[in-house]
Amino acid sequence: LPGESGGVEDVSFLVRCPNCGDRSVYEFRFGGEIKLRPSPGAPDAEWLRYSYAQKNEAGVQKEWWFHRLGCRQWFQAVRDTRTNEVAETRLPGNAP
Amino acid sequence: VTESVFSFDGESVPARPGDTVASALYRSGTRIFSRSFKYHRPRGLLCLAGNCPNCLVNVDGVPNVRACTTPAREGMKVVHQNASPSLECDVLSAAKWVGWLMPVGFYYKTFTRPFAWKGVEPLIRRAAGLGVLPESPEVARAHDLYEHVHLKADVAVIGAGPAGMTAAAEASKAGARVVLVEEGPELGGHLRYERTGAAELPRLRDALPAAAVEVLADATCFGLYEGGLLGIVQRRRTPGAGGVRERLIHLRARTVVAATGAYETPLLFENNDLPGVMLSTAVQRLIRVHGIKPGESAAVVSARADGGPVAEDLREAGVRIAAVVPPDRVVAALGRRHVRGLRTADGRVACELVVVCGIRVPEASLIAQAGGRLEWNDEASAFLPSELPPGIFAAGRVTGVEDLRTSLSHAALAGQMAAQAASGGAPDGGLRSPAPSPAPGPSTLLGTPSGKSFVCLCEDVTARDLRHAVAEGFDQIETVKRYTTVSMGPCQGKMCQLGSIGICARETGRTIAQTGRTTSRPPTRPVSLGALGGARRHPVKRTPMHSRHEEMGCVWMDMGEWKRPLYYFKPGSAKSKKECVEEEYEAVRERAGIIDLSTLGKLDVQGKDAPRLLDRVYANRLSDLRPGRTRYGVILDEAGIILDDGTVSRLSEDRYFVTTTTGNLEFVQQWLEWWAAGTGWCVHVTNVTGAYAAVNVAGPRARDLLRKLTSIDLGTKAFPYMACAQGEVAGVPSFLMRIGFVGETGWEIHAPAEYGESLWDALLEAGREFDARAFGVEAQRLLRLEKKHVIVNVDTDATSNLFAADMAWLTKADKEDFIGKAAIERDRPRALREKLVGFVMQDDLVPDDGASLVAADGRPAGRVTSARFSPARGRAVGMAWVPAELAADGREIRVHVRGSFGRARIVQEPFYDPEGKRLKS
Repeated sequence: LPGESGGVEDVSFLVRCPNCGDRSVYEFRFGGEIKLRPSPGAPDAEWLRYSYAQKNEAGVQKEWWFHRLGCRQWFQAVRDTRTNEVAETRLPGNAP
Repeated sequence: VTESVFSFDGESVPARPGDTVASALYRSGTRIFSRSFKYHRPRGLLCLAGNCPNCLVNVDGVPNVRACTTPAREGMKVVHQNASPSLECDVLSAAKWVGWLMPVGFYYKTFTRPFAWKGVEPLIRRAAGLGVLPESPEVARAHDLYEHVHLKADVAVIGAGPAGMTAAAEASKAGARVVLVEEGPELGGHLRYERTGAAELPRLRDALPAAAVEVLADATCFGLYEGGLLGIVQRRRTPGAGGVRERLIHLRARTVVAATGAYETPLLFENNDLPGVMLSTAVQRLIRVHGIKPGESAAVVSARADGGPVAEDLREAGVRIAAVVPPDRVVAALGRRHVRGLRTADGRVACELVVVCGIRVPEASLIAQAGGRLEWNDEASAFLPSELPPGIFAAGRVTGVEDLRTSLSHAALAGQMAAQAASGGAPDGGLRSPAPSPAPGPSTLLGTPSGKSFVCLCEDVTARDLRHAVAEGFDQIETVKRYTTVSMGPCQGKMCQLGSIGICARETGRTIAQTGRTTSRPPTRPVSLGALGGARRHPVKRTPMHSRHEEMGCVWMDMGEWKRPLYYFKPGSAKSKKECVEEEYEAVRERAGIIDLSTLGKLDVQGKDAPRLLDRVYANRLSDLRPGRTRYGVILDEAGIILDDGTVSRLSEDRYFVTTTTGNLEFVQQWLEWWAAGTGWCVHVTNVTGAYAAVNVAGPRARDLLRKLTSIDLGTKAFPYMACAQGEVAGVPSFLMRIGFVGETGWEIHAPAEYGESLWDALLEAGREFDARAFGVEAQRLLRLEKKHVIVNVDTDATSNLFAADMAWLTKADKEDFIGKAAIERDRPRALREKLVGFVMQDDLVPDDGASLVAADGRPAGRVTSARFSPARGRAVGMAWVPAELAADGREIRVHVRGSFGRARIVQEPFYDPEGKRLKS
């Protein structure tokens, strides 16, 4: 997410917001892959990976989404990047 | 029974009920409808179904409108395109004499030498092409002509022919909310113009439950996107509210039945593009839908000895059948501007029309777009959907079925299954397509085209061009397409795809199945740019004091969605902008100024973890901020880049009031909430931007001014620089911060938006005795520049870190983890490449924002981010990015100022009150 522009382009799938249900992807802001932030003293290489490297998974990945034009909540989704099928969404506090 | 009258090239044309522009023009005798793209050959009605480019006209200033799908409307102005002076006599048709200069792919190889492309290009550009874009007033008006609508359905059925109507009726019976999309003005599809099965139409129409099926007529579906999103353009017969002519419908459907039918494509023979050569379905539409006798005599090109049903229609309409000619015996259409006859292998036939029974092509492009597979079927001689994506069903002729009874029973099943799948009930894909009906292969219909046999009417590509392309080595269908531009015109391959594939297959000795087809992409039909753009309506935000600024007279500026006074200016006054701004400046520096800051982003951050969150997000420490104190804060990203800045005031242990720059509010809020969500900390971030009006009162007399309105102790001891307090100002509950963006003693006052006007009035009234003035953004920018106060994203950009921007003082090395700390620690020991510095001009020039800098040796040396004439220094001052080695105090650089160079000296300190005495007094 960090610093990305808000819009989502060239796609038209639906995302199931945990609060609002199925909505057009245009209502959301994509927040990027869920990554683990390194600890403060971690080596530079780890920080660089965290800041700049994306896995770009061709398959199922966990992501952040923000329902910009709806309930305005951040939530996490499990999406297949090949089909844009959103298998699961949940509010961050409700990890299974 | 004339219903309406419109004009074509200035002549009045009567139209009957149900007429399109094309049918009305044809009835009144028009035969040439357009001139072709490259050779300016006359073109007449060919398909009458919105598939070919032959009837593109300009309607009411909108170019490239298909006359055959545009309903005739009273008073519309129709004008021809791409011909001069007229369609009948087009001087540009002389292009045919220089056609040898423009062989296939000519833009890749001709006009290099000895011809200079530079000289020829403008000529070619003028001669080639389609319509002309409207003038800008027309474009501006376009926002009123188009609108966007969002709809939703369980089942969307595309095409209201017999199969589509049946599928829609069955889906709705099964309980689904159905939207039925029809490109034509009425239901019926091919039953409207074909003899076969026409008697079934009333029954099918009555079977549609009007209440449960929403019918969108005159609506073209041009794209099927993921998530069941359909792009549809609906034309309005009579302009809607506000003159809306077309609307773009975003239809979201759970399942889709593509009942898109089939269309007829032309055969290849010499002069096959001559006006008078028409497809059989076009002739049927003229006769059976519009009641027009298409001509006196016709030659019918048909594989059937009797000429098929169209021959019957022609006879019934009183047209003499001059001959029925098998496709492989046709040689050339005869005539110059219109058909006079047909040359066959057996001799010459005199006739007024050549009616071509072409190849029927299933319209499967929507299915292909959605990810369905199309495979060549030898039996049906067509590309048929072999695999359908989940949630997509096909019904009717698109599956290759001709027999109506088989088609309808299959369509009924498709409708039921689409309804079930929409409710999540049934698995997809359980429906098998019926066996396709046999049809003659294209090879027999392609003939042996010679000379000017046009494959692609949009781009004037002939059979010979395609053969040349293959001979030159472009022997894959996708490379043939790109080299010759075949299938890249407005018809998107409808008229030429099969022909080009057939020729490519034959020339390369492959089968059609091996040759394959080009990729289908949206839009499958031409869509006006205006419809896609729609009505662009931007929200405008006004501050609570907006009408006061308007009454005082000001020049507005846009800041994101907000309107802000740039400077105050009485209409009719003789003052220049410079004089206005200097007066405002002077008031702030010498007396007092008041500025509306309501556009600042304002966030209320509450919760027991609020101090932790702010410590994490801001580069400086905020957990140790005492209640009643304010601190300047900067937000970095993990790479150490400056994202935003603002003030953070602590109201109590667990509550902060945060301001952001006007344009970054949304970002900062999401950023804070994202970190809160990720950590699970207990914090609530509330956007209170609209809830508060904000003003800054600044200047040496600001304290005297405010003392008249409040009982809060404003003395330097009780209310020092960077303190904050709550209290009443002019009877309005307010929050005051002592900060100084403009470099003078001043208070930023936040008060409920409802009181904005009254607070503003009270401040101006109280300031009258000090000659206080309202000031705008321009004066504010000058005032802050003299203090070298950075504006994030104006003086910094997406590569600026704290060290380069000279803001490293903000953060302490001992501060525990915060966003960007790792990057800062990494960067701290490194040498900087560039630094943000201040400069003072040494001559009278004032550089523009963005001007470039030049080092003494002439090398480029950075850029100016802000520059203004500084009354305090008597010279222009500014900020600039320069290479680190030039960033020394007193160093001289040269600045590009509109064509000449000015001298500037780098100055480290603020240009005004470097010790900040005035600020703190």
